Amino acid sequence: MIHAGLVLDELRRQGVTDVLGVPDNAAKALLDLLAAEPSIRLLTVTREGEAFAIASGLWVGGRRPVLLIQNTGLLESGDALRGTAMRMRVPLVCLVTVRGYARMAAHGGPPAVEALDAELLSRPDLDSVALLTETTLRAWGLPWEVLGEDADLPRLADAFRRAHAQEQPVAVLVTSDTALP
Amino acid sequence: MTRDEALRPLASRRGQAVVVTTMGTVRPWARLSDHPLDFASADSAMGHAADFALGLALAQPGRKVLCLNGDGSMLMSLGTLVTIVASGAANLVLFVLQNDTYELTGNQSIPGAGRVDFAALARAAGFTRVWAFEEAGAYESALPSILEGPGPVFVVVKVEPGAEGPLGRGPAESAAYLRPSLAESARLLRRAILDQDYGRVDS
Repeated sequence: MIHAGLVLDELRRQGVTDVLGVPDNAAKALLDLLAAEPSIRLLTVTREGEAFAIASGLWVGGRRPVLLIQNTGLLESGDALRGTAMRMRVPLVCLVTVRGYARMAAHGGPPAVEALDAELLSRPDLDSVALLTETTLRAWGLPWEVLGEDADLPRLADAFRRAHAQEQPVAVLVTSDTALP
Repeated sequence: MTRDEALRPLASRRGQAVVVTTMGTVRPWARLSDHPLDFASADSAMGHAADFALGLALAQPGRKVLCLNGDGSMLMSLGTLVTIVASGAANLVLFVLQNDTYELTGNQSIPGAGRVDFAALARAAGFTRVWAFEEAGAYESALPSILEGPGPVFVVVKVEPGAEGPLGRGPAESAAYLRPSLAESARLLRRAILDQDYGRVDS
């Protein structure tokens, strides 16, 4: 569990102006806090790829946006990420809640790319989006940090530093549900 | 109406608006305009000019942002019509130049060519200021109202198919805004916007 208030504190410390994304259950507590936060605009989009393009425009226009999406939406976003935020060198932190990680962890963690085949990806006891997440991030050139508990919060600050130092999007895999205090 | 008849009066009236072009309007616009607030959504991701322009508009509420979208591109991201209205971007004017074809790949028909009603789609998404034009005179007469009133505004302009070829970027490009990389173009636009935005703190 990650306390949503601590995440929000870090977003405020980083000067985040806008959070864009599509809601999911793991992010609910953080979304509830963001909806009541006057210093950050929360913009719900219709599809996650749209969020990468809007965020790129926000950055070029002088704002400091962050994405909050699920790993399913990340997979949907491939060409938008590639053609906007990555190709425009936008220092965009993408908070990615991860569906299916607990079951994947019980089966040995993320598989090697060579193991990703139809047999594995169709197993009913595993969530294929979890199996594909890290391999996809690697293939798309998107570095990532992992935020699994409150003690990992410095990783979120690290993601902002990496994004700005390298002028590129950086993902933060949020591997636990956010919760209110 | 020809594409030139759609773009030429707009180029003379854009003022200090940011103009985002894509696909078939990229090079024709560059033949009419060479402005630091012009941006080509080219060598990027098809279908994402309107949402990129929405981000610019939300970041710069005191400045008009004009997006010159294509019909095929608009069909790729119809959800953005809903997002634009929900966001309340009052400074965004979204043009769709409808020629019913994917011109850059050889004028193949778009899905619904001759039947799809973009103005109706925009109204259904919640746009209240919607225009549709087939005749150049009526379009040019309405442009001052289109550009001066509150947004978000949606304008569909039916134009004849042209013969624009594939887009690229690089020093050999005739269009000045296609010479830098996409990343450099984004940096240049950001600098142009923020330099003209006295008092803003850049992060």
